[in-house]
Amino acid sequence: MSLYEGSVKRPIMTSLIFTAIVVLGIFSLTKLPVNLFPDVDTTNIMVMTSYSGASAEDIEQNVTRPLENTLNTVGNLKHITSRSSENISIITLQFEYGFDIDDLTNDVRDKLDMVKRALPDGASDPIIFKFDADMMPVMILSVQADQSVNGLYKILDENVANPLARIAGVGSVSIGGAPEREIYVYCDPVKLEAYNLTVEAISNIITQENRNIPGGSFDVGNETYPLRVEGEFNDPREMENIVVASLGGSDIYLRDVAEVVDTLQERGQMSFTNGVRGATIIVQKQSGANSVEICNKVKKMLPELQRNLPSDIRIGMINDTSESIMNSIGSLEETVFFALLFVVLVVLFFLGRWRATFVVAITIPLSLIASFIYLLLSDGSLNIISLSCLSIAIGLVVDDAIVVLENTTTHIERGADPKQAAIHATNEVAISVIASTLTMLAVFLPLTMVKGMAGMMFKQLGWMMCIILTVSTTSALSFTPMLCSQMLKLKKKRTKIMDKLYGPIERFLDRFDAWYQGKLNWCVRHRPVIIWTCVAVFALSLFTIKSIGTEFFPSSDDSRLSIKVWMPIGTRTERSQVVAEELAEKWRKDFGAECRVINYTVGQASEDNTFASMQSNGTHIISYNVRLKNPSERKMTAFDVASIIRTDLGNRPEIERFTVGAGGSSGMGGQSTVAFEIYGWDFTETDNVAKMLRTELKKEPGVAEVRISRDEYQPEYHVEFDREKLARHGLNVATAATYLRNRINGSTASYYREDGEEYDIKVRFAPEFRTSTQDIENILLYGTSGNTVRVKDVGAVVERFTPPTIERKDRQRINTVTAIVESGTPMSKVVEAGQRIIAENDIPLGISVGIAGDVEEQQDSFSDMLMLGLLILMLVYIVMAAQFESFSDPFIIMLSVPFGVSGVLIALWLTHTTLNLMSALGIVLLLGIVVKNGIVLIDYIRLCRERGQGVLKAVVTAGRSRLRPVLMTTLTTILGMVPMAIGRGEGSELWRPLGVSVIGGLTLSTILTLILVPVVYSTFAGGQIKRNRKRHARQLELDAYWQQNKDKHIKKAKK
Amino acid sequence: MKAIFIVYDQAYKERMLALLDQNGCRGFSMFPQVQGRGSKSGEPHYGSHAWPSMCSAIITIVDDEKVDTILDTLHALDLQTEKLGLRAFVWDIEKTI
Repeated sequence: MSLYEGSVKRPIMTSLIFTAIVVLGIFSLTKLPVNLFPDVDTTNIMVMTSYSGASAEDIEQNVTRPLENTLNTVGNLKHITSRSSENISIITLQFEYGFDIDDLTNDVRDKLDMVKRALPDGASDPIIFKFDADMMPVMILSVQADQSVNGLYKILDENVANPLARIAGVGSVSIGGAPEREIYVYCDPVKLEAYNLTVEAISNIITQENRNIPGGSFDVGNETYPLRVEGEFNDPREMENIVVASLGGSDIYLRDVAEVVDTLQERGQMSFTNGVRGATIIVQKQSGANSVEICNKVKKMLPELQRNLPSDIRIGMINDTSESIMNSIGSLEETVFFALLFVVLVVLFFLGRWRATFVVAITIPLSLIASFIYLLLSDGSLNIISLSCLSIAIGLVVDDAIVVLENTTTHIERGADPKQAAIHATNEVAISVIASTLTMLAVFLPLTMVKGMAGMMFKQLGWMMCIILTVSTTSALSFTPMLCSQMLKLKKKRTKIMDKLYGPIERFLDRFDAWYQGKLNWCVRHRPVIIWTCVAVFALSLFTIKSIGTEFFPSSDDSRLSIKVWMPIGTRTERSQVVAEELAEKWRKDFGAECRVINYTVGQASEDNTFASMQSNGTHIISYNVRLKNPSERKMTAFDVASIIRTDLGNRPEIERFTVGAGGSSGMGGQSTVAFEIYGWDFTETDNVAKMLRTELKKEPGVAEVRISRDEYQPEYHVEFDREKLARHGLNVATAATYLRNRINGSTASYYREDGEEYDIKVRFAPEFRTSTQDIENILLYGTSGNTVRVKDVGAVVERFTPPTIERKDRQRINTVTAIVESGTPMSKVVEAGQRIIAENDIPLGISVGIAGDVEEQQDSFSDMLMLGLLILMLVYIVMAAQFESFSDPFIIMLSVPFGVSGVLIALWLTHTTLNLMSALGIVLLLGIVVKNGIVLIDYIRLCRERGQGVLKAVVTAGRSRLRPVLMTTLTTILGMVPMAIGRGEGSELWRPLGVSVIGGLTLSTILTLILVPVVYSTFAGGQIKRNRKRHARQLELDAYWQQNKDKHIKKAKK
Repeated sequence: MKAIFIVYDQAYKERMLALLDQNGCRGFSMFPQVQGRGSKSGEPHYGSHAWPSMCSAIITIVDDEKVDTILDTLHALDLQTEKLGLRAFVWDIEKTI
């Protein structure tokens, strides 16, 4: 018993099996995580090593290089980049896509164990982080506080940051803008000198005074009591009354020489949200973790955390990545539903019967839902790719069911009863249904074999399509005949309403059939005209290539901007803050309609805030996080806003440089960048090349912004001591330097305890006594014998520029010039411009310039796609040749492929869309769909010829008879893609190119398939007939000759 | 005793069996897959790409008086659904065991 016979005879079993699939699918759907893309995050691992006191160059030579040399041998490594700056070396290992981060981490750890001993003694053990510091934070929280401002950092660190950091997948939680409380003892150097006191002495006295000391225990009668001295200060003000010295019989109190200030850290970061000061908490995720999941967990945790906080602290949301992801996925889900609706309408339009439409339409949810089971099993997620895949599949899955249904209807109309009709009708078409599915599999299966970034994107799509198509074919061969046998019956009389409603449509379709038949008849009789016209259309479409730009990945508007502004180096935090607030104020006014939150952080992060210190920060750096309203609620795109902000920033002379980033959360979907990597040892030479590139690139149209990765040289004051003079005063560099540090940076004397929290008590010069080089020169140093000497007497204070952070990539020093491409400008143009500039200018010997960034990925992916296209073409040809047992027929069918490509090119050109990964995917999809139409047509032409019709008659009859099925499958696919192509929801920029290219390619290629394929077929078949006739004539001649001369030949042979 | 040879489109299968039962024909032999085409108008039934449908055939040996009723019923069925194709032929049975 065959599959269809079995299922028709056992309807309950069949329907229950498919019900089970649907139930499992829906169950899987509820368990699926949501993500923007399949796991395409670069798998980055960061290795951080600190070596205090070492300069950038020392770090590079002694820490970074040995580490790099060893780590370079870890397998699957793509690039190794490093930043060596003062005290710290950060190495980032970028791995190929698709490897398990935990395995990679273990490999890295093994290598680090090997190299640890080669590091300098003072260097700390390297620490591994499974995240990438450059990655955009998944969440930014704002914190506002009134009374608790003083203890805010500690409170947040313990009650918010630590619990959040424990959430699985969170890479780091850093607190910005919450200064720590500190108690300063500001000394007046003049008074100190007068009373013969030093900062160290005061610091010592405070340490001695601020002590709780247990005094042992003593017995009173029968009891034993412990004895304690509680000397710790209960209030910082108590310190003012400490006696620090006695002079001439009178006590000198601390208040006489210094001022005790209970305040916030002097150099702290300040954070403002919509003009209100508060703190920001930044949550970053680990490589490969799911943003939405993390955000959801964080959001779930927040109310609980809020309960544990003092009542005046309120946590708010500045930025939530999950929101934009959910919005994107939501708007894509909407397009999937629209596609479903359109497809059902198209089927109803062509079939004109509710029951038939139901039988066909039920296949859609069935096969789509089945794919969720695969997603769950393969740890997949609901993302743009998997949802796009559903959208594409909707139009394809109905095809097989339609073929089965049509044939069953024919059988019923001939008089068979529905049950028998369903079995025999399915039997008749089973082979061709399977063959056409095989063709589609030949398109999608190779997609699962692509490597690299494109591979990560298309693997899921390939498997999903294969599974959806297999399920839909299985259902068409079992579930559909079962439903047909149960639901269809011979319509002996049509109702009046039906006649009124569907009559006109039916008449229109009939007239259209007849019209097409007439035109086709003309075409097959004027073959050269048609063929040359088609060639001309193809040739013309190739001209559009010049004006179609390419980019790697469409940029997506995810409603947020991150802006970084550099004031001139050394600008004070207060000044930077004023500028920051002015700008924020202006933007709040200008983009009031677009903007939801403007948050900025300014100032130097504290030393123990490791993660903040990895990001560039300083008193002169302002970083903004701007959250825009949802795309549907505003007029301007994030890119428009970004470009206005760039002009604003460019117009302010006090701003040294700035970067404005718009769109995309994980490197993908952001604005395209072209990176020019300048490799070379010499700082000055590479700097010059970088500056030249920046000036030249800025002149190019379409370049929004140019960044140079190497920081500006930082001016510093160095105190250069004369060792001999120091020695004469019984001093050495270390002790002298300590005196300096205690006065300027302060010496931590002790800790002030309150409510279980500890705050530093720092003794240092009052701020007004450390504002000039003279102040430093006048600092007193104390020799071993108590003698004093001023700094200016034993050394000189000079201004120096320190080497900047040293960046390396693949073990070579590098300086990267990054051009941000204006949205709408193709990346390829900027690349060309860059190459021209490099060629025109002399690059010094020993310096090489390479192009990287998105271009690198683009070139890799596009060459992968090209190989993939060829592989698919070959597979499809093999499947078709096997099906038709012919070499020429598949060739004729494949003639429609180039027109699919020209359709894509024309559509891209008309809609000013670029050729990117998504539109390239569209072309790959087209291969399968376009070919399918050709198969339907050629198959029927062959059938007509086998039934004894002449070539031209067969072609025209087949054309007329297959017009509706071809139009139906094409329209279901095209209309299924329309919501994608015109979608306006958040993230629609990402899938629009896919929709546009499929619609364009399919429209043109279908029109041409309906004309060109019959025409070329008749040409080939005509040629074949002529050749056959000639061969036959030759054979006849030969036979006649043989008959005449056979005696001669046979006799000869005998002799 | 007469033999009736019925050739019909596969889709008739169930109706054919019911028809035999109604007329009290217990014994029959069946050829499920038969190819062929009609002499005048019948569409070929080859099970091929061009002509995918197939026929079945039944031989039943019945008493003489049943032949006419069976043939009449078959003819009526054929007229009802002409497109499917149904033919019956009768000949004598000379000996049986």
